[in-house]
Amino acid sequence: MEAGQTYLDEMLFAVLPYIALALFFLVSIQRYRAQRFTYSSLSSQFLENQRHFWALVPFHYGILTVLTGHVIGLLIPRQVLAFNGVPLRLYILEGTALVFGLLTVVGLVAILVRRWVFVKARTVTSPSDWVLYGLLLVQAVSGVYIAVIHPWGSSWFAAAASPYLWSIARLNPEINYVVALPWAVQLHIVNAFVVIGFFPFTRLVHILVIPNQYLWRRTQVVRWNWSPHSRRLPR
Amino acid sequence: MNDVTSLERIQSWVESEGWAAILAALLLVVVGVSPARAESPEDFFRQNCASCHTIGGGRLVGPDLKNVGQRQEGEWLVGFILNPQARINSGDPYAQQLLDEARGVVMPTVPGISRARAEALLTMIAEQSAMERSEFAGSKISDRPFTEDDVRMGREIFIGRNRLAAGGPACASCHTVNGLGGLSGGRLGPDLTKVYERIGSRPALAAWLQGPATTTMRPVFAGHPLSDDEILSLVAFFENAARAADDDSTVPLLNFFLMGLLGTALALAILDGIWRRRFRAVRRPLVDAS
Repeated sequence: MEAGQTYLDEMLFAVLPYIALALFFLVSIQRYRAQRFTYSSLSSQFLENQRHFWALVPFHYGILTVLTGHVIGLLIPRQVLAFNGVPLRLYILEGTALVFGLLTVVGLVAILVRRWVFVKARTVTSPSDWVLYGLLLVQAVSGVYIAVIHPWGSSWFAAAASPYLWSIARLNPEINYVVALPWAVQLHIVNAFVVIGFFPFTRLVHILVIPNQYLWRRTQVVRWNWSPHSRRLPR
Repeated sequence: MNDVTSLERIQSWVESEGWAAILAALLLVVVGVSPARAESPEDFFRQNCASCHTIGGGRLVGPDLKNVGQRQEGEWLVGFILNPQARINSGDPYAQQLLDEARGVVMPTVPGISRARAEALLTMIAEQSAMERSEFAGSKISDRPFTEDDVRMGREIFIGRNRLAAGGPACASCHTVNGLGGLSGGRLGPDLTKVYERIGSRPALAAWLQGPATTTMRPVFAGHPLSDDEILSLVAFFENAARAADDDSTVPLLNFFLMGLLGTALALAILDGIWRRRFRAVRRPLVDAS
């Protein structure tokens, strides 16, 4: 260990990522093999769907867009930096990212409120769900905080975070990139690895088994065998 | 067929000893993490010290280190190098004098420093001090007067419109300067409006830019050093910026956040519009009937 880096830094930025990744891969595979029928996100939309809309839709569009942005910064950092060389492009990119980050937070808060207030939804919420929602809320709120207080993340992610993450992939973590960053950024990084490690123990595994073929399979016709105007199910 | 049976054996082992297998793999991964590197004292000095110190080239942010070993005892110097802040806090009068001469800029603890390295550095500095002209005797940056073109070029480099030749990221990724316009520059690192005054002089700022030595900037620029021309333009830009008027730097932040909130409200309205028929059809009757 080099001076200027504490033991804690080493643990959080050089060891935790590997524990998280190992848990992610090994437990995901093990759970798929041993408990295949738990491999989903238990739906609660049939319990009610008014509040559910404001939770489900903003959250998923928000998080998917923001995650994609992180992956792009990781894969083509030099191109992102070149793109950001024109201030207007940078501002539009950052503004868009902030909007989708805020959508994620709105969705998460709506999820938490609905799961807590609506008793039927609360009943089907497991302890692992609550922990996960807490972690995701920390992640989304810290992300928005960073976007506003420490701009411009799309540029400095490409410059400093991307090489750090690649150094982890090369099995030679260079934690100097991150040990002196502001606390919110460090929290965001550490919490991200916690989420990755916790991933296979949660409903997040549905990400690995999304029925993508729904996007191109033939539509299914649903027919009711009673008058749709009566709005009543046969008892 | 042999393959299948051995695969099955592994599968059944993982099933019966699943957690043991995971723990064993985890241990392997954790034990495998151990970086190590070796560097000559000269390279180390160039990367970590030359941004603030010369050997025989006069004062930059920090003092000229020529014959430093004759001004102070070796053991004191090693202690100071290992943890400058602690030595200053201890009330040591010589450390206080150094701090005053550096106009309050505290020398950072250098990443990767160790007792052995500090001693090797002092030996190297003594050798270089004995030379007629040390290889660390100062920057090669021109001292011609700055022109408006220099300032304009520096601004383009700062923003990133003019890309750094060696591929380093633009300053505005992490730093801002008053009067940049728009939503201003980044705020991961410090505001650089007054950096020219803080660092104190053209050669000092130029030397600093030759090898930025903070913990975060060092690795980012290690493989992408700035050229002498780029440094000259940037120093001109910073010298100009330090004379700019003060303005409230929180305004762009607030504007950015408000734009984000507005955009989010708009996005929610759009989503609501797209799915406005969402409560009809299949689910609603089911929910109502439950």
